Amino acid sequence: MTDSTKDEAYIALKNVRKSYKIGIEPIPIFSGLDLTIPRSDFVAVMGPSGSGKSTLLNMLAGIDLPDAGELRIGGNRLDRMGETARSAWRAHNMGIVFQFYNLLPMLNAAENVELPLLLKPLSARERRVRVGKVLDLVGLSGREKQYPAMMSGGQQQRIGIARAIVADPELLLCDEPTGDLDRKSADEILDMLRFLNRELGKTVVMVTHDPQAALYARRTLHLDKGSFVEENRAA
Amino acid sequence: MTFLQLARRNTWRKPIRSLLLMVCVAVAFLIYGLTASFTSGTQSAVGASDDILGVMNAAGRAQPLPMAHMARIASAPGIASVAYMSRLRGFVDNERNVVAVSAVDPGLLIAVNGSELGLTPELIAPLGKARDRVLVGRALAEAQGWSVGDHINVTAFQVAREDGSRDWRFEIAGIFAGESPSSDTYFMIARYDYINAARARDRDTADAFIVRPRRSVPSSELAARIDALFANSVAPTRTQSEKQFLEAFLRQYADVGLIVDLVVGAAFVTLLMIVINTMVFAVRERTFEFGVLKSLGFSRTSILSLVLTETLFIFVIGGGIGLALAKLATLFAPPTLGLVFSLSILVKAAAIMLALGLATGALPAVNAMRISITAALKTR
Repeated sequence: MTDSTKDEAYIALKNVRKSYKIGIEPIPIFSGLDLTIPRSDFVAVMGPSGSGKSTLLNMLAGIDLPDAGELRIGGNRLDRMGETARSAWRAHNMGIVFQFYNLLPMLNAAENVELPLLLKPLSARERRVRVGKVLDLVGLSGREKQYPAMMSGGQQQRIGIARAIVADPELLLCDEPTGDLDRKSADEILDMLRFLNRELGKTVVMVTHDPQAALYARRTLHLDKGSFVEENRAA
Repeated sequence: MTFLQLARRNTWRKPIRSLLLMVCVAVAFLIYGLTASFTSGTQSAVGASDDILGVMNAAGRAQPLPMAHMARIASAPGIASVAYMSRLRGFVDNERNVVAVSAVDPGLLIAVNGSELGLTPELIAPLGKARDRVLVGRALAEAQGWSVGDHINVTAFQVAREDGSRDWRFEIAGIFAGESPSSDTYFMIARYDYINAARARDRDTADAFIVRPRRSVPSSELAARIDALFANSVAPTRTQSEKQFLEAFLRQYADVGLIVDLVVGAAFVTLLMIVINTMVFAVRERTFEFGVLKSLGFSRTSILSLVLTETLFIFVIGGGIGLALAKLATLFAPPTLGLVFSLSILVKAAAIMLALGLATGALPAVNAMRISITAALKTR
């Protein structure tokens, strides 16, 4: 990644409004949120429950849409895309890492990692090579045939990361990726995310409650009641 | 891993449930295979010819026609060959063991429908050596355990001999197999001159004339022309193709085909309900996983295809097993059952399999397709 590309506004939210209806009452989440994230940044988003972290992540993943405002990622207006286009966009541009790994129990490690590649026009051999590479990258070579139930939480999360990056997306969204792990495993996972950001140039947005996890990011945004109230930059 | 393998893995994640569903499907298609084979082999006119015409008395099948009609039919334009035939129905050993005898001139019969019956000059040659010799159809011979050289006694229901006896003795001179497995071979071919000379009534008459039209002549037009020949005679005729005759004959008892269709239809509707219900629950159990797949970029269409592939997989495996069992049953069933598992049954079954697989998968697949990712991910 060059410095010039680093400074591009890869993710841009402008005056985003979002509310949910509970009963007949609309509950506002964001009332004019602005956010800019350059390419290859590593941003941690922190905040209390109900502050809008998950809603923000869902919007960045194209899973949820703003009621109003502009949501642009990599030059694409996600808020103007239909569901099918957003699915295709997710398949090609974004990887997602969940708190509870969300691996499919009937598939082994290699097959779980291979899932996003089924959406790409690749031969079986090309898929196998890519899966082998990312499993090697996350340190799980030789465990291709193991099923999720046979793995520790840390190993499952490594598989989750491998699945998120196997299609080589620019954007990596992480929803409390260490929330279910012990400190040692959490640090290993965070080291891996930092490696993906610094060495491979992935743009990482990580929602977390853990201040130690946030230290791995280049900057930390604090969200409260639908607004960013503070920003810390890593030393 | 391919998309198909993913669907297969999903299907086998609850092996007992999938196996039970496949057993349901297999049983339904076994029923279909057997009933369709039964209808095809015994109740349908599939094996009957549309070209060969039968000329009978318009007053009813039991009324004979004078032999003089033969020459007038033969002289009509468009006719390739004509044969005459008298029927003799009776029983062997006990009254429930009913057999039918067609008394013909074998030389004329072979010219009219020898190919359909599987008759050859070599096969009919032994009939010429003695008047009481008969050829027995394969199905009848296998059912009765008869073989060439056996002597049998048929007690006729109606055709009495001059001496008042109704017993007709025959010697089996050969066995004819028919052109295809669906050909009717549950009868005997005897010599007309033997029956005609010995019977007490209706001498020199025929129950029917069998007509083969020339290749280019439409059988329906020829039938109308023949009937017109005898419209004002003492014995007007009714001419039908073998197929029309057989269909009308079968329909006078009951529309067995319709009854079978209704039974099979009921089985399939029940199956449809069972599979839909099970698949709807299976999809509901996996709401979370569909949410994960969608978040990875699987589109609505790919989710729809995944669930449809799963139901099709169950139907193809289960249906395939059911049809294979039906085919085996037709191979081992006694010929009296007349089961014929034809290619058309297989093609129709495959079409039903595909249609049912898609129909049962449609509702759960649409449900899975509509799942909202955010709602699905909350169901963990």
